[in-house]
Amino acid sequence: MEELDLLKKAWQKDTQSFQQVTENEIYKMLHKNSSSSVKWILIISVLELALWTFISVFFNADEYIKQMHAEEMMVYLRILTYVNYAVILWFLYRFYTNYVKISATTSTKQLMKDILRTRKTVQNYVWYNLGMMFVSMIIGFIMAFLYNPQLSVIKDKIAHDEGNGTVIKIVCMLSLVTIVFLVIFWLFYKLLYGFLLRRLNNNYKELKKIDL
Amino acid sequence: MSETLEQSFVKQLKENQNIVHKICRLYTADSDAHNDLFQEITIQLWKAFPKFRGESKFSTWAYRVALNTAITLYRKSTRSVNTVTYEAQQHFFVQDEYNHEEEERLKLMYQAVQQLNDIEKALVYMYLEDKDYTEIAETLGISEVNARVKMNRIKGKLIKILNP
Repeated sequence: MEELDLLKKAWQKDTQSFQQVTENEIYKMLHKNSSSSVKWILIISVLELALWTFISVFFNADEYIKQMHAEEMMVYLRILTYVNYAVILWFLYRFYTNYVKISATTSTKQLMKDILRTRKTVQNYVWYNLGMMFVSMIIGFIMAFLYNPQLSVIKDKIAHDEGNGTVIKIVCMLSLVTIVFLVIFWLFYKLLYGFLLRRLNNNYKELKKIDL
Repeated sequence: MSETLEQSFVKQLKENQNIVHKICRLYTADSDAHNDLFQEITIQLWKAFPKFRGESKFSTWAYRVALNTAITLYRKSTRSVNTVTYEAQQHFFVQDEYNHEEEERLKLMYQAVQQLNDIEKALVYMYLEDKDYTEIAETLGISEVNARVKMNRIKGKLIKILNP
């Protein structure tokens, strides 16, 4: 077939017409993973925020507070909630900018910096969430103690107690509950974000080997 | 410092990238799809690289993996374009000596090849690369006779497309 041979001739002659890819671009293709890990961090954090919002809408704390006649506490709780949302939105914004930056990185060195920054943001985010949880639990305990009528029995007991035995028992119990909860959530975050961070970390190690 | 696996891969791929470019040219119709497929092939090559032990040349190994990627793994709707635009064809041929009649014939030939299916394109690729039928047969996992028959059918098909 004459046409095919013509094509063959042109095909073999024609080697320079392709836009050549540089070594750096190939490295970038191999580490495209980084951008998708960061994308998942962004997606999961948005889902997490949505989940918490959903839960707080359905289990309205306001009703509970009204029942306990603790309206004066409501203002503080509202402020705490808003501050919390503001901080989480700020983290979301950071996740987003990290994602955009990593996706658009052209230099490997910059990519390494971006990976480190993303790791730091995620770690801060996890610590913030755990800290917030700790604070909320303490506030919850104090409120229950001050306002919940069902706990007046315990209060009486403490008042009639000679030593500090009951107080110590209660404090120990509450501390234990707090620690268990925090550990559970810490594990949850570790599992959720740890997996993504490990992928990022592997990429980082590979990039470090290139040593640019 | 000794070269890491990754460094040696990137170096060899860079030197042999025209192999991948040529396959992309056959399987894609515009530069976006071209770059997409190029990246996909790069990733697949890298995944397969630990199994490459240097028994064959890098180029031989690479074109086989690349072809397999183009045939089996890369199934994006953007790629299967039956009608290729004139503009899309422009980047296919940049030639020094201008022979308009020949250029026109090549263009038509190219459009015809674009209409073949994935396996047929693979055969055409190897034919254009001057691979012998033993290698073609081995790469596609068919018998040598079968490869010859298939190639003849493709020629017939191309003639039909060119002379409707």
